[in-house]
Amino acid sequence: MSIRSQLLKGILDGCVLAVIEMEPVYGYELSQKLLNIGLADVSEGTIYPILLRLQKNGLIRGEMRPSESGPNRKYYFLTEKGQEALEVITEEWKQISKPVSELLAGRKEG
Amino acid sequence: MNAKKLIEENNIKRESLNPENQAYYSDLLIYIRLKFSLSEQQSEEVLMEMLDHLLDGQNAGKTAKDIFGDDPRGFADEIIEQIPKEEKRKLIPFIGGIIANIVGWVLIIRGILYLVLSQFTEVKTEVYPFSTLCIVLFIACFVLFMVVFIFKLIGRSLFNEKSTTRKDSIRVCLVAALGMTAVLLIGKFLPDIGPSFDFSWLASLLLGGILLFVIYVIKLKKA
Repeated sequence: MSIRSQLLKGILDGCVLAVIEMEPVYGYELSQKLLNIGLADVSEGTIYPILLRLQKNGLIRGEMRPSESGPNRKYYFLTEKGQEALEVITEEWKQISKPVSELLAGRKEG
Repeated sequence: MNAKKLIEENNIKRESLNPENQAYYSDLLIYIRLKFSLSEQQSEEVLMEMLDHLLDGQNAGKTAKDIFGDDPRGFADEIIEQIPKEEKRKLIPFIGGIIANIVGWVLIIRGILYLVLSQFTEVKTEVYPFSTLCIVLFIACFVLFMVVFIFKLIGRSLFNEKSTTRKDSIRVCLVAALGMTAVLLIGKFLPDIGPSFDFSWLASLLLGGILLFVIYVIKLKKA
């Protein structure tokens, strides 16, 4: 596994929740949105174990409804608990990312 | 949408996969469905999502390997780990139904067999509940063992890792033959213990018929 995908693994839950927060999505849409954001280092299938886990923990819920292209798809919605979890993750990420960015940006060139 | 409808839809949609993707997806599907302790509804839902995803990906020129990775078994294990377990109250009627079905048919076959045989020879229709129970329990354990054994072998044969179909078939036959021999031997040599009662062919046939009828009615009501 590349360093990047290892780093990503820990924060992917947060990314998935954040995408779902913007608007309800189904699996394929979600993977395309993650790709478009620039998170191309996880295989698309990886979202399914994550979606199952988030569902089991009550952070999101799935609902069958017709998609734009016609057939029924399982759309995921953020629950209240998911909203709270996303706030926590966002806060934690800020606390880690800022010092790490500063530390790594401050390295001596060479 | 319930699990049965999802399975039907899955069967139709799967036809649109190209051979390579179909091979990959089918193994994934069998591997997940073999875990019968998992919630059927949840399993079928995620299987449908992945099929939809694969079909969308196929239209965009991607393969199953691109989407789900090079390690289908590892991926399937990750999925399985996250699918909730089936609730026990759903499992009990399911297993109970199977057992009642088998008992019903055994009683009917016994009834017919004894009716035919009694035309030619004298048949002993006495039944020793305790001895019968011992044999039934042994058969039940044997069947359970066979099911788990066969599921294990199928699970191992998936994802093109080791193709040992011939060897596996021989193995299953051998174990089944051994088990049947044991059943017959126990039936022959188990002494008649405890009280007994007369169980005629007619009673056997009727009881079996009633049992199957009840199962049929329950099934009809559920559908």
